[in-house]
Formats: sequence, structure tokens, C-alpha cells
Amino acid sequence: MTDGHSRWVSRPPGDPGGADDLGALVRRAGRGDEAAFDAVYEQIAPTVYGLVLRVLRDPAQAEEVAQEVMLEIWRTASRFDPARGSAQAWVTTIAHRRAVDRVRSAQAALRRDDQAAAGQPEATGDTVADVVEARLEGERVRRCLGSLTELQRESIVLAYYGGYSYREVSDLLGTALGTVKTRMRDGLIRLRDCLGVT
Amino acid sequence: MRPRRADPHTLAGPYALGALPPREQGRFERHLAACESCADEVRGLRETTARLAAATARQPPDRLRERVLAEVARTRQLPPEPAARTAAGPWHGRLRWARLTGRWLRAGRRPWFRPVAVALAAACLAVVAVSASVAVTASRQLNQEQASNHVLAAVLTAPDATMMSAPVRGGGTATVVMSHRMRTLAFSSAGLPAPPAGDAYELWLMGPDGDRPVGMLHPAHGMTSPMIATGLRAGDRVELTVEPAGGAGQPTTRPLLLLAL
Repeated sequence: MTDGHSRWVSRPPGDPGGADDLGALVRRAGRGDEAAFDAVYEQIAPTVYGLVLRVLRDPAQAEEVAQEVMLEIWRTASRFDPARGSAQAWVTTIAHRRAVDRVRSAQAALRRDDQAAAGQPEATGDTVADVVEARLEGERVRRCLGSLTELQRESIVLAYYGGYSYREVSDLLGTALGTVKTRMRDGLIRLRDCLGVT
Repeated sequence: MRPRRADPHTLAGPYALGALPPREQGRFERHLAACESCADEVRGLRETTARLAAATARQPPDRLRERVLAEVARTRQLPPEPAARTAAGPWHGRLRWARLTGRWLRAGRRPWFRPVAVALAAACLAVVAVSASVAVTASRQLNQEQASNHVLAAVLTAPDATMMSAPVRGGGTATVVMSHRMRTLAFSSAGLPAPPAGDAYELWLMGPDGDRPVGMLHPAHGMTSPMIATGLRAGDRVELTVEPAGGAGQPTTRPLLLLAL
């Protein structure tokens, strides 16, 4: 893998360094400071691109969507509110939403309907082994995902990296809707505690 | 498998994972606005999913940066959200109007509305400015007047200008046009009743660092000339009180208006 991983992910939890820097840079960018935005780009583009690519799988589309995401960050930087969460959470929420929007666009929907008709959840390639063994780079994230129950893990991985709605996840896993919702929540809580997210 | 309208609390997980369909997401967000513990939980879960995102980081092609920076150079930014939610206290209900306006301004759902709103506010303030300059008293020096008109014009035409309007307790309406980028606002009012003899309206900025007097307002023909406040800081609020005509060092009466910026 490249060494372009966002710097903050490798920090131990609780280390305020990178996260605070990014928040301050976003706020400066929100005041029209293009140099600050360039620095924001440097810090966050690998995370944005990586996530979008993970969800879309197609590098050409991922590049397009990553560009949309970075522009949305520029346009709305003045609305980043640190009281509501870190700049990383703000950015990745935007990136994930954009990627999922693209997935749900007409063409993608067609393709995915075909897959659903074939009744093959495996067609997504989003098996946990795949993610845990090959794709995830963050040691800590990998370890923490490994500490979840299988259902928690599958639900989270399919929803977040697969871009599926919880209803689709429920279908893919053949598990009741209510159970999937609950597993997503308690799985994330467990992940949060394992990662030391405050 | 048709979903029931379930306990919204359990949706915190799917919501943080971006796995809610748009309609349910809207419903859950309305719930979040009213449920502080839910909002806290979602905040933590979002930080968690941000870590999941970072775990997939991958260096994008260099051309992406060039394209993004080129687009940035020709892309206009949105103004900040009017942060009315920090307003607390007895005048909450009175801020409805301002919030409604703010929502329109920030939602981007009606892109035409913002220029219209600001143009309207500009027109109102301009009328006030003209009538006020006709009635100019000797109490202000001409160069001060010119300087403040210049600042007023700059605020009204700032690309990020936003308008808020709210009723004043006791009668009348206050209008604020603000530029976050300039950290400046223009305040005007209409329909304020005449203050008791010997008293006057005083405008304040109240912030985390204390209260700062902005100036005395003297209604003429039911309107006050635009008042400029500069050097706005995060968390500032605009307050209007009645004080002795000479002004007070700090507010001494119950506020007639309290606007979060």
C-alpha cells in the first residue's frame, strides 16, 4: 500500500495532534483561505479517496466522487462546527454520503438489482475475511473489528464499506431488520470503546 | 419485511453508518435535534466510523489535487449557518422567525432566496440610512458618518451576507445583516416605541469574553439608523436594552431582544 494514509489514523487515541490541526485548517478554509484548504486536502484526501474507492470499487468513479467531496468541503467549510464532532468525522460523513449516493444512482441500482435477484450476497466480495485480512490497514481498527461478533462485524462492514442500507444488509444476511439495526448500534459501540474514541 | 415505525433510538447505528434511506434519515435527524443523549451517542459513533474510513486511506492520483484546487479557485463558498441554536433563555420562541429565515438561507433548497432576502434587507436598511441621514444630528461627525456608511455598504454587499429578523419585546422588529467573514453586522429596527423620558435604547454585543456596548439607538419616525458592530467573535449575541440616555457600562435592564449570531 502507499504511505498516503491520513496521518491521524496512526496516532494513538487521545493524541490531540492531528485532529485539532485539521479542524483549525477547515475553519481557516471556511474563511476563504485557499492555502489552508490545500493543507486540508493534503491531510484528508487519502481518507476521502480511499473510502470512496472502497465503496465504489471503480477508480474512475472514485476519483470523480472524491473531487465532488473535496469541493463540497471547500464550499461548506464555514459550516463545520467543532461542537458537533471532529473535522475527520465531518469529512468522512460527507465522503460516505456522496459515495452511497453514487452507488444508489440509477445505473448502479440496476446492477445491484441483478445481484440481488441472483440471491448471492457473496457477489459483493465484501466478506469480512477480505476486509480484515487484505484491505484494512489500521492495525487497531482491524483488531477491534476482530473483537466483534460475526453479525456485528458483517452488518457494519456491509453498511459502511459496502454502502448498503440497513434493509439491504438485512436481506443480504437473512437476518431480521430489528436485529440488524441493533447489531449495528451495539457493534459500533463496542468498536468505539475498543478504539478508545471519546 | 415491512419495517415498523420503530423506536428511533435504535437507528443511531444505521444512521452513523450512513445506512438509512433518506426519509428515515430525515426523521431520525428531527429526533436527534430533540434528544441530547442520542446526539451525544451519534457523535461518538460518527468518530468511530471516521476511523473505519481512515483505515481504508489510499493516496489519490496527483491530478486529483490539481483539479480540486483549480475548481476551488472558481467556486464560491457558502456562508456559515446562522447559529441560532446557541440562543437560550426566555426569548427562544421569539427567534422563530429568524431561524426560519436562517434555515432557508442555509438549506440551499431555494438558491434564489438568499440574494432576494439580502437585497430586501439592503433595501430596508438603505431606506433607513437615507431617512436617517436627512435627520442627521450634529452629534456625529461627518467623517464618522461616511466611514459607517462605507462599512454598511460593505456588509450589505458581502458575498456571505445573511439576514436575521426578530420581533422586539415591547413592540417593533429588529433586523440584522451580518457578514461572518467581515466579522461585522449592521443592526436596524422599525416600530420601536419611544423609550421613557430620559432613557434610550442601547445595543450590546454579549460574548464569552463579556459584554460590549455598541451604541445608543434613537428612533426617529419609528426607525433607528443602522448601527454597525465590528469585531464579532464566536459565540457573540446581540442584545437590546433600555438604559439611561447617556448609556450604561453594562446592561441593567431585562433584554428586549437577544439574538444569537
